Amino acid sequence: MKLKAEKVGRRYFRSGKDTNFFYAVQQLDFEPEEGSVTVITGRSGSGKTTLINMLCGLLTPSDGSVFLDGRDIYELSDRERSLLRNRSFGIIPQGQTGLQCLTVAENVLLPVLMYGRTGEKEDKAKKLLEMLGIDDLRDVYSNELSGGELRRMAVARALINDPEIIIADEPTADLDADTTVLVMKLLKERAKDGASVIIVTHDRDVIPYADSVYTMDKGELKKQ
Amino acid sequence: MTRYELLIRISLQKYKAQTLIISLQNGLEGYRARLGADIVVVPSSSQGHGTVDNVLLQGITGNYYIPQDSLKKLDSIEGIEKSTSQFYLTSAKASCCSARVQIIGFDPETDFTILPWISSSTSPEMAQGDIIIGSDIAYPADGSLRFYGESYRVAGQLEKTGTGLDNAVFTTRDTISKMARSASAGVERESLRGVDLVMAASCVLIKVRDGYDISAFADDINIHVPKVRAVPSVSMIGSVADGLGNVSVFISIITAGIWLIAVVIIIAVFALMMNERKKEFAVLRVAGASGKMIISAVSAEAALISTAGALTGLGVSLLLSSPLSESIRQHFSLPFLQPDAAVMVILSVGAVIMPVMLGVLAAMLSAHRITRNESGLLLREDA
Repeated sequence: MKLKAEKVGRRYFRSGKDTNFFYAVQQLDFEPEEGSVTVITGRSGSGKTTLINMLCGLLTPSDGSVFLDGRDIYELSDRERSLLRNRSFGIIPQGQTGLQCLTVAENVLLPVLMYGRTGEKEDKAKKLLEMLGIDDLRDVYSNELSGGELRRMAVARALINDPEIIIADEPTADLDADTTVLVMKLLKERAKDGASVIIVTHDRDVIPYADSVYTMDKGELKKQ
Repeated sequence: MTRYELLIRISLQKYKAQTLIISLQNGLEGYRARLGADIVVVPSSSQGHGTVDNVLLQGITGNYYIPQDSLKKLDSIEGIEKSTSQFYLTSAKASCCSARVQIIGFDPETDFTILPWISSSTSPEMAQGDIIIGSDIAYPADGSLRFYGESYRVAGQLEKTGTGLDNAVFTTRDTISKMARSASAGVERESLRGVDLVMAASCVLIKVRDGYDISAFADDINIHVPKVRAVPSVSMIGSVADGLGNVSVFISIITAGIWLIAVVIIIAVFALMMNERKKEFAVLRVAGASGKMIISAVSAEAALISTAGALTGLGVSLLLSSPLSESIRQHFSLPFLQPDAAVMVILSVGAVIMPVMLGVLAAMLSAHRITRNESGLLLREDA
């Protein structure tokens, strides 16, 4: 699936000297390659998270459009865009995102359970948890996990539906060097299978896995 | 206070308030139906203790009798369509008697207030020595009660009225005269001294002929017949109705106030709870949940919590209402008769449905407000 952002921008209210708003993301074009890992780096507050939230349909752009296979995702209804996000996107959000009332396995299977499709996905969940080294925690409630274990659980959840677009915000935060390698190898593998993998990170250890690297600064994106 | 506790209290309050108002209205209706006469005449000495309304409403017992010369004067007053006398005797709290109750003796030949009621409630067949008892009086398996050393067969038991009559015993003049003779020879020697046990009356109930003004008729009796007090039954009911009206208005205002506060609090509580769960909703959105899916899930959760809360509240109300009804009746000094099963079921369903609807609506409102926000912003807030 081809993801493309055209003149996409997002402004927020902020009182200033000359104007009452500022652009977190300037009107920019962005077109990650299919079957590749794209890494976006940049200082905190440069607009990286805002950009990827717009790319996956979680934040409506103030300007421009986001297209998936030529279709503007913000012209879809909330229900359609949610289904698209469930089927085609694998999102690893910033911070800890485990639902405390669910076990690790249930958290991983959440996108599947939500639309009533289980079956073979249970085996897939088991395999992902094994690959990420947390299979023994499958029946543990997520509030009992460490930061690194929660991060790996979020990675497994993002990959459960074999998405064609993977958007990861700091996927290796809270992870040690060995686990970082484990996670990055998994994402790289998905890219080899044809998925577009977009990673926002401050972690220098991620760069070697990138096919292209962008830097974001004051809402502007530059390819390195 | 949790959402669950709040919903229990709302359900409890709704059920209690409505049951209380309906019970009081039922009680008044029963009281009105039992009284039957236009005017009640009692000895003026009875004022303050065992007056007819006290006997009827609260079961306050007393032995008091109209002097014979006053009874003769009453008979001579023009305008009486029919009249009947009743003889009251309070059983003793001693080994001679099964229970301390008010015994009401009526004359079957002239009675127009008790017999119609008895015949609608139980069999009116009463032989010499038979008694009919109020609904709250328990009697032994042999079917008789003892008064002043003699046993009397229980010929029937009346339906509940919510008044003092539920604790009264009814019998004919012949039987009560026999009881009074036994009493005057024993524990009631002092209170029955000088009373003509065959002819005496504790009260006279009068039905006035058409065309006569009832209040003026009562005034005439008060002016011309010494040592008695004539009271139009309408004024007795009127004072009860006024009391009931005041209590009903008071309960309604309190209930409305509590509901208003409850609505505000429950909306605020749900809004706060939803706010605390913003991140959870953002995660669901990330996984592909639509706004409608989240609102549905939150509504289902609220319905479950609200139903559990409302059912618990209703259960507590049902447990409390029966043992407390007597003390409520005494506290309000008003006739109190709980609604029948069908009305109780309707009230119960209402006491569950209303809080459930309120809980679900409050949850839906809060969830709708949260899902209107962009998920990307919710994630940023909690990152």
